[in-house]
Amino acid sequence: MDLRAGDSWGMLACLCTVLWHLPAVPALNRTGDPGPGPSIQKTYDLTRYLEHQLRSLAGTYLNYLGPPFNEPDFNPPRLGAETLPRATVDLEVWRSLNDKLRLTQNYEAYSHLLCYLRGLNRQAATAELRRSLAHFCTSLQGLLGSIAGVMAALGYPLPQPLPGTEPTWTPGPAHSDFLQKMDDFWLLKELQTWLWRSAKDFNRLKKKMQPPAAAVTLHLGAHGF
Amino acid sequence: MALFAIFQTTFFLTLLSLRTYQSEVLAERLPLTPVSLKVSTNSTRQSLHLQWTVHNLPYHQELKMVFQIQISRIETSNVIWVGNYSTTVKWNQVLHWSWESELPLECATHFVRIKSVVDDAKFPEPNFWSNWSSWEEVSVQDSTGQDILFVFPKDKLVEEGTNVTICYVSRNIQNNVSCYLEGKQIHGEQLDPHVTAFNLNSVPFIRNKGTNIYCEASQGNVSEGMKGIVLFVSKVLEEPKDFSCETEDFKTLHCTWDPGTDTALGWSKQPSQSYTLFESFSGEKKLCTHKNWCNWQITQDSQETYNFTLIAENYLRKRSVNILFNLTHRVYLMNPFSVNFENVNATNAIMTWKVHSMRNNFTYLCQIELHGEGKMMQYNVSVKVNGEYFLSELEPATEYMARVRCADASHFWKWSEWSGQNFTTLEAAPSEAPDVWRIVNLEPGNHTVTLFWKPLSKLHANGKILFYNVVVENLDKPSRSELHSIPAPANSTKLILDRCSYQICVTANNSVGASPASVIVISADPENKEVEEERIAGTEGGFSLSWKPQPGDVIGYVVDWCDHTQDVLGDFQWKNVGPNTTSTVISTDAFRPGVRYDFRIYGLSTKRIACLLEKKTGYSQELAPSDNPHVLVDTLTSHSFTLSWKDYSTESQPGFIQGYHVYLKSKARQCHPRFEKAVLSDGSECCKYKIDNPEEKALIVDNLKPESFYEFFITPFTSAGEGPSATFTKVTTPDEHSSMLIHILLPMVFCVLLIMVMCYLKSQWIKETCYPDIPDPYKSSILSLIKFKENPHLIIMNVSDCIPDAIEVVSKPEGTKIQFLGTRKSLTETELTKPNYLYLLPTEKNHSGPGPCICFENLTYNQAASDSGSCGHVPVSPKAPSMLGLMTSPENVLKALEKNYINSLGEIPAGETSLNYVSQLASPMFGDKDSLPTNPVEPPHCSEYKMQMAVSLRLALPPPTENSSLSSITLLDPGEHYC
Repeated sequence: MDLRAGDSWGMLACLCTVLWHLPAVPALNRTGDPGPGPSIQKTYDLTRYLEHQLRSLAGTYLNYLGPPFNEPDFNPPRLGAETLPRATVDLEVWRSLNDKLRLTQNYEAYSHLLCYLRGLNRQAATAELRRSLAHFCTSLQGLLGSIAGVMAALGYPLPQPLPGTEPTWTPGPAHSDFLQKMDDFWLLKELQTWLWRSAKDFNRLKKKMQPPAAAVTLHLGAHGF
Repeated sequence: MALFAIFQTTFFLTLLSLRTYQSEVLAERLPLTPVSLKVSTNSTRQSLHLQWTVHNLPYHQELKMVFQIQISRIETSNVIWVGNYSTTVKWNQVLHWSWESELPLECATHFVRIKSVVDDAKFPEPNFWSNWSSWEEVSVQDSTGQDILFVFPKDKLVEEGTNVTICYVSRNIQNNVSCYLEGKQIHGEQLDPHVTAFNLNSVPFIRNKGTNIYCEASQGNVSEGMKGIVLFVSKVLEEPKDFSCETEDFKTLHCTWDPGTDTALGWSKQPSQSYTLFESFSGEKKLCTHKNWCNWQITQDSQETYNFTLIAENYLRKRSVNILFNLTHRVYLMNPFSVNFENVNATNAIMTWKVHSMRNNFTYLCQIELHGEGKMMQYNVSVKVNGEYFLSELEPATEYMARVRCADASHFWKWSEWSGQNFTTLEAAPSEAPDVWRIVNLEPGNHTVTLFWKPLSKLHANGKILFYNVVVENLDKPSRSELHSIPAPANSTKLILDRCSYQICVTANNSVGASPASVIVISADPENKEVEEERIAGTEGGFSLSWKPQPGDVIGYVVDWCDHTQDVLGDFQWKNVGPNTTSTVISTDAFRPGVRYDFRIYGLSTKRIACLLEKKTGYSQELAPSDNPHVLVDTLTSHSFTLSWKDYSTESQPGFIQGYHVYLKSKARQCHPRFEKAVLSDGSECCKYKIDNPEEKALIVDNLKPESFYEFFITPFTSAGEGPSATFTKVTTPDEHSSMLIHILLPMVFCVLLIMVMCYLKSQWIKETCYPDIPDPYKSSILSLIKFKENPHLIIMNVSDCIPDAIEVVSKPEGTKIQFLGTRKSLTETELTKPNYLYLLPTEKNHSGPGPCICFENLTYNQAASDSGSCGHVPVSPKAPSMLGLMTSPENVLKALEKNYINSLGEIPAGETSLNYVSQLASPMFGDKDSLPTNPVEPPHCSEYKMQMAVSLRLALPPPTENSSLSSITLLDPGEHYC
């Protein structure tokens, strides 16, 4: 995994172009009851935007932590970060998940990650980094709301947090600073993996929800570009 | 005596025994051994804390003792530190002592033991060391759990530049452990198979988030685990700099300092250093909330002296700085207020201000700065509460900015901030007369005087000039003076005066008054003195002029100048020169290269009458001519021509024209006399002639060859070069004999015309003389007589009496072939329907007619055609093939037709056509004249031929149909017209 802030302008430009043409896509611009399609598309777009945003943020934050955390091939064992929701899942397992389960996992994961991220924000020493983290937290909160919207549109209930399992960020004195840095590293890494996974989830869901006619219209509309 | 001896012995024995007892007691109690040794650890500080007691110490007795402490690491035999600790020990006292380890205590087990000795004066030597206490083992058990690797110390905070030892503890000695500092591998010293220590000397500050150190255990290429620590390195706390305190109201002391580097570390490992103010006289302390300033409330009016200590502190270090001062010596006044200006006039003003009152009887030192006209003046003044200062020697009508600041006069500490205000002085009358000069133009009966003046400088104007007054006074006749008021900013005026002497006074006026007058006298005697103009050479810096002094008393000289070509009013300048000066340099940026300037030097008499002394003209920099003259070629003969350029003006040129270069090109290699060879800029050669006189504007170029081609080009030249290169003008000399021919031919033509006129006038006479009329027999009177007798047998001539000169043959076309010179095909082969022609074959063998046959024209059919007097005799070229075969298309046919027809017309010169006119009466076929009208059909072909003669070229072209074309070619082809 490459967490460095790399060449992401092209990606941003592509994303902006997609966003700009979104209203022109007939499949997403139908009158009447639009169904969950537009909200899934928006959630997907937001996921891709967050992916881009995280790439820049992670680069800055890991440089702030210093080597070896900002080294591209640094792959430490997952120490002390066991409470973070894991995004990695076996492909077969992922395929076997249904939409409800997929969305529920996404929602739960981002709920946890957002909480940890706010803890990260509190510890950040520089004002600029704090601003970036706060901005990302807001965006992530938006994504959480979008997922909740999609779930509501599809008629799925939101997962209720179990009492006592509320994730909390505690600056434990027993927790060494090195492990704390490691946790931060893993938090950012998991976030990136989750965003990548969510993009695939929403893309799959989007395709599933699209009626065949809309696909044809979209195809024809693409000639206009 | 014996009793005494016994008593003495007993006493001695008692004393001895007492001494022995005492010695035994001490011997039993000494050495006093440290007991109850307990060792605790402080992992963060990496220190061992020892506590023990000393047994057998006498009650309420104090003893000075020395304790020797031995510390071993890993095993007891590995003693790493031995040291003594001296202290006074009381009865039942628990003793404490600490030792700081450079190696984290978690890295290795430590062992401590202690022994003591009395080092007290009450117990003289010899003293003995006690026995060692038993070894106390110290082990910080942090390496617990399932982990196989540990790194110590955990998250240590050190100051930049200190030496730090870290270690790792590996449970499995089989593992290969590598450690990295900020990503770079470090190498250490193995303390035992499980423990390796790394000494980091003088650690630097890298980031406030700490320096990362981690170790990774592996077996082969398989990672077994990773552990790391963050070493927080703080910057060294600096001593506060520039610490000072001052008051501006005796209520608050404002203390400031330069804090230096912030030593804060991330993750709240160390906050920014704190600052505390401590005043020793009052004993008060204040924790400052800002890192570079702090306010201290003055509570006691009686306290004059303050001793402040500023303490900077962080987790690792404390720094302090101290100042002692008297409060009255640290007064920083608030800036003055109510700054005003009173009684402002043209040159003076009074400035007033107020100072914030501090205490009674305080004297303030104030500093005033006056800025105006690009200058700054500074004044110091001592005031109480209300300040006042008289500003003098100000310039009229000038804006000034005055500001003031104050300080405690008795104990100067520092100036207050400035308080200032702007003010403008009033106007005053202009202080200097305007610089005036004039141009006098003489006109019949009067002078036209154009007065010029220069605007007064701001220094002399003393305000805004509103108008100029020009007073003209006649000096010859007593009359009223004329006043002309010219509003500013005009700088000239024109006066028309009669031929009297006039005195002209010019004053500049502003709102306050008038300036001194500038006086000029215009003499009644006009300046009719002819002064020759002298040429001068200027430089880029200007013109250097000198002149002969004017005889008599002069009050000065004036040099005026203007652009030679421009209107005088536009660019007129002058300069005043003192009476004892006869030279000056006119230098101004306004002089432009290539512009001619005319200078006139006047002497001013005591009566202020100007007398023209000299005229000079010149260029600051001469340039090459910008254009070439327009040259006319006159009197062109076969051997010479004259070039003239009379219209070329030498005056309005960007330099003095020194002459002309005449370039001449000809085919001849040699140049003409007076010309010399020259090479042009394009590399071509030509002949060049130089005319040195700029007024010589004509040149006769002679010694030329008739009927020859010449090119010339004339360009003027100045000291800077010649004019622009341009094209050469071409001239060709005429033929030598043409004139002679004209001389001969003209009279001849005249004579011929004369003769013709005369012949016309005398034509009747000539006709009668040279060719009288021949009588016509048919018109003879004899014929009329015969008709009158009506004799039908009267025949003048019988046909049988005539010898025919031709045989008339009427050919039958069927089966007949006619050969044309052996090469010509028979017409009958191609055109059987061709109408027959009438052929007249000569009977005489030696017939020398122009062609093989003669086509006879039947005049009966078309009288109009017969009047043309020509018949289609067309010689046929034997080479001409039949064109029918070639012209298969109508277009070709048409072209050919047109061409052939034109050719046929052209090939028939009238003079060469020989026709043998045969009388119709002589034909045997039409022997009877009366039978002609009765045979209109025969021969039809001749009628066709006649039509050809009658139509024009355009009409002869057939319509573009195939049939008609064919028929036309058949008809019109000259080859077909052989008779």
